[in-house]
Amino acid sequence: MKRSNPWLAVALWTLISFLTLFPIYWLFVISVKPAVDLFSTPDVLLTSIDWQNYIKVMNDSTLRGYMMNSLIISTGNAVLVTTLGFLACYALTRFDLAGKESVFFWTITNRMAPPAVFLLPLYLLLTQVYVIGDFKLADTHLGMILVYCTFNLPFAIWTLRPTLDGIPKELDEAAFVDGASAWQVISVVIFPLARPGLAVTLILTWVFAWNEYLLAATLTNFNARTLTTGLSEYVTTTGTEWGIMAAISVFTLIPALIVFGMVQKHIVAGLTFGAVKG
Amino acid sequence: MGNVQIKGVTKSYGGVRVMHGVDVEIEDGEFVVLVGPSGCGKSTLLRMIAGLEEISGGQISIGGRVVNDIPPKERDIAMVFQSYALYPHKTVAENMGFPLLMAKRPKAEIAEKVNRAAEILDLTKYLDRYPKQLSGGQRQRVAMGRAIVRDPQVFLFDEPLSNLDAKLRVTMRVEIKELHQRLKTTTVYVTHDQIEAMTMANKIVVMRDGRVEQIGRPLDLYDRPVNLFVAGFIGSPAMNFLQGKVATRDGRQVVLTDQGIALPLDGVQVEDGRAVTYGIRPEHITIGEGGIPVDVSVFEPTGSETLIFGRVGGVPIDALVRERIEEEPGKTMSFRLDPRKAHVFDQVTGQRL
Ligand SMILES: Nc1ncnc2c1ncn2[C@@H]1O[C@H](COP(=O)(O)OP(=O)(O)O)[C@@H](O)[C@H]1O
Ligand SMILES: [Mg+2]
Repeated sequence: MKRSNPWLAVALWTLISFLTLFPIYWLFVISVKPAVDLFSTPDVLLTSIDWQNYIKVMNDSTLRGYMMNSLIISTGNAVLVTTLGFLACYALTRFDLAGKESVFFWTITNRMAPPAVFLLPLYLLLTQVYVIGDFKLADTHLGMILVYCTFNLPFAIWTLRPTLDGIPKELDEAAFVDGASAWQVISVVIFPLARPGLAVTLILTWVFAWNEYLLAATLTNFNARTLTTGLSEYVTTTGTEWGIMAAISVFTLIPALIVFGMVQKHIVAGLTFGAVKG
Repeated sequence: MGNVQIKGVTKSYGGVRVMHGVDVEIEDGEFVVLVGPSGCGKSTLLRMIAGLEEISGGQISIGGRVVNDIPPKERDIAMVFQSYALYPHKTVAENMGFPLLMAKRPKAEIAEKVNRAAEILDLTKYLDRYPKQLSGGQRQRVAMGRAIVRDPQVFLFDEPLSNLDAKLRVTMRVEIKELHQRLKTTTVYVTHDQIEAMTMANKIVVMRDGRVEQIGRPLDLYDRPVNLFVAGFIGSPAMNFLQGKVATRDGRQVVLTDQGIALPLDGVQVEDGRAVTYGIRPEHITIGEGGIPVDVSVFEPTGSETLIFGRVGGVPIDALVRERIEEEPGKTMSFRLDPRKAHVFDQVTGQRL
């Protein structure tokens, strides 16, 4: 077989990387320009760095609160759905449950509907139905963590199923014979082997919750308001504060990059899981 | 005491019965082999002993205790799987120590027992490796190591050698047998390979379609198979079968084929005129005057012996002889059948007469 020209590959990947990274660079450029310069000098070159926007954002305790809310909700939701999805897939792949394929399919159809479809029912559930005394789920961290389960739990079950399917049942059986309890089989044998799949699921569900706007904007007012909804507060009738929004956007990107970096090793392992088995 | 009693055990999968009342008695310290063609229910029976499969009917006891409703972990058994089922994320030492870890044994004891098992199995060099860094035979030994460290009442093996190449299979066969002679732990061993069964077992259980066909010592099964199935299954190359009717010729009983060829009998009490299947093993045929005429097609010399393929009246018949044959294929040879080694079965029921 003829080897393809290495320079062609380098050029192609450079182009793709450029297309991917350029908007992020541009975002950064906008975020470090004083507002007056934004439209007067419409070039993308980084001429000077002005941290003004960042200082404003960091000094704004409301925004800091939103960031905290986003972190709590995304992390809480990702951990919850990954745990539940893991246990659900254990049951789906290990037990002879009547109609389990139908259950599986029904579950993942929930992920296929557009989120807007669920907006009204979820709004009513959170404001009218799940009310205990003065306590309402609406505008709480817990409420949003549960709301995102609607989309992320089916997704988690769907991504984890092949991982659990790929772990031979004989390993469970060997562990049972070796004296492990059902819980020990899950924690000592299945869990370590499912780690790549779990990491992939954790990050993808986390990113979904972190980026979600529509439901957060509708179902939160102040207490559980997230960073994405906070962004929209800078689009006002008197104008749009592009610089601030860009700075917030950069802040939104950073945690995603950090989380991604932490689990990247597992994601690569996860994508090649089938190939390295055996 | 590691004796195992299987009484009237049945198994159904969703209304389909695959096991029809199996009875087996296994004494303490015995090496019992369950053998039979694929799909006959060997693994199912073994897994019921292990507690990995529910028992639909009947009773299994281990060491005098009925275990029908006892989970695997409380049955005091160890199992070696066909795929070895080693934990891929654990080292050899951790794999072997796993049952002891589950039993909450102290670390020092685990290390000591793992080291001892590793010595027995020649795995000491590999204790820090992961299963994927081992060869097939080494993985097989780790799986056995995991079974022996906890000194269970019963070892269960499900076709442990079928993933190995032919040469290694023979080596491991001997190793497993030696291990059994050393540990004297009751062993139930599943295989579809009758050679493995013959060479390893104290007692063979031949199964077919969820039923036990015969239980006995290897040579008893070889010498006196109770029916056509066992006769054809045990022994390699397989027994020859010829159809005919019992008749008396020159004061001696013979089996007369449709072509009028007389197959010699000795000491079999069957009335004349009965339709029977005559069985003779290839190794009980010699070449010489006064035998039956066989059209010979192929010779397979192995050096120590020669396997001769032929036909008598259109029916295949093979002979295994010690001497080297310098004949051309395609001619007719005279096969002498040893009448004392002949088997006679009822043509309808297939039972030994
Ligand atoms: N989980 C199952 N569901 C339905 N039928 C099964 C199942 N496991 C085994 N069987 C059936 O039970 C019979 C015995 O199987 P098995 O014990 O695996 O045979 P062997 O180990 O002797 O090859 C086969 O006919 C097989 O199809
Ligand atoms: Mg089997």
